Amino acid sequence: MKYLPLALSLVAALALPGCKIVKTVPGAETAAAAAGEAGDDARITALLDKTYDAELLPLIAKGLNVADLRSALATGLDVAGKAHGHEGSGEGAAWNFAVKGEGKVVEANLTSRARKAMVDTDGDGAADLTLQLGPVIKGSSLRDVAPFYKFGDFRDQIEFAKLARALNDKASAALVVPEGDLVGKTVTFNGTVDLKSATDPWLVTVVTFAVAP
Amino acid sequence: MNLNRRLFVGSLAAAVSGILPTLSFAQAKGTIAIITPSHDNPFFKAEADGAEAKAKELGYEVMVLVHDDDANKQNELFDSAIAAGVKAIILDNAGADASVAAVQKAKDAGIPSFLIDREITATGVAVSQIVSNNYQGAQLGAEEFVKLMGEKGDFAELVGKESDTNAGIRSKGYADVISQYPDLKSLARQTANWSQTEAYTVMESMLQANPSIKGVISGNDTMALGAWAALEAAGRTDVIVVGFDGSNDVRDSILKGGIKATVLQPAFAQAQMAVEQADKVIGGGTTGVDEKQLMDCVLVNADNAAKLETFALKA
Repeated sequence: MKYLPLALSLVAALALPGCKIVKTVPGAETAAAAAGEAGDDARITALLDKTYDAELLPLIAKGLNVADLRSALATGLDVAGKAHGHEGSGEGAAWNFAVKGEGKVVEANLTSRARKAMVDTDGDGAADLTLQLGPVIKGSSLRDVAPFYKFGDFRDQIEFAKLARALNDKASAALVVPEGDLVGKTVTFNGTVDLKSATDPWLVTVVTFAVAP
Repeated sequence: MNLNRRLFVGSLAAAVSGILPTLSFAQAKGTIAIITPSHDNPFFKAEADGAEAKAKELGYEVMVLVHDDDANKQNELFDSAIAAGVKAIILDNAGADASVAAVQKAKDAGIPSFLIDREITATGVAVSQIVSNNYQGAQLGAEEFVKLMGEKGDFAELVGKESDTNAGIRSKGYADVISQYPDLKSLARQTANWSQTEAYTVMESMLQANPSIKGVISGNDTMALGAWAALEAAGRTDVIVVGFDGSNDVRDSILKGGIKATVLQPAFAQAQMAVEQADKVIGGGTTGVDEKQLMDCVLVNADNAAKLETFALKA
């Protein structure tokens, strides 16, 4: 403890001359802040404003129907992925697919912060996929389905992760989940699913969700 | 011990080939230095083992060194490696800022460095920086933690060593998920510097100050093991503990119903990838990939723990 003041004054002594060398360029600090973590939110908001409605939603709207995607996957995940999906950044990342469909809700959990509906899309009475209904959305498939969001364009994994979170929040905020029980209701949806193997259970992040009257 | 023997063998080989150049068929492709934190943490041992196995498979000698998370020591190790004329350095570094100079020094000496596990704060100095997607992994761990906690209750967090970027990244990944659940309350957040013994002490005092704690989320497995030992000693095996790394020790604890989950970083595969890239560069080529490379992490819980062995999941 008694060395602390000494250490602090040393740090100060070392730091001060450094400060004098750097000339203050007007706007330089704001530029640095913008590139650093402090500017992340502003940059990501701008990116979403530019790409979410104009590029991402149209891309997801072009997704295959559930049945078509399942038959594509039957030929192998990599083959299906190259034809219809996009691989996330990094070794071991999942393939991401846009998908749309309709089905009957077999089971639902609407009390969790991560609400979910388990849906039967092939009419066999058993649920074959799960829809994420927010407000907490897991994963990063909204980001990873899009070839125009590249890891290399971001400062680091934190900024890239913030993009995924912002996309999830944006999608979740737009979802309208009706009051009352969903079980037995027919729902239509459009969203994304990420798969690390062709047999993974489907957890679909939805961007549009509607309950048939 | 190992180090001395390997160095000795290495210099012996050099001496022999120096005296008898005709025996050059016995000469390997050169030596690769593998520098990591202490092997006391099995994660770093797995890295070193993975790198060593791959280097030998590709025909290199190895020089295995540990810096014990001491940047000065790391600097000295770099001097030794440079003096020994190694062909490449595989490094899990001793500090994001402090390591830049050492890696630069090697680069200036014409020796390429390939970083694993931890990033440094500069680009263009190392050839590759292959790191686990710690943020993604932390989110996986936190999602499981939230589920185990039933989305509510008091919890504590054990944070890693501050000089290691991964400590902060994981903590942010945890917070990103947990903060979305307003009924989860963080009562304590403290560093235990990746250390098992330190985590034991920290956990003891956290528990005394906050007996209502229902869960502990830890920045790595060794701290999770320390916390779990303290909880056991206090008769609080009801507390949910989640770790990070995917060590065999935590696997065994999960299988016994102790610690509930961890997040696997593919350490072994990562180290091997680094050596493969080093081999390409030593051979005069390029890695063919970006400097910064991410590897996804995988959640390990009771469902798949039995498949975990030395930082890899068996198929």
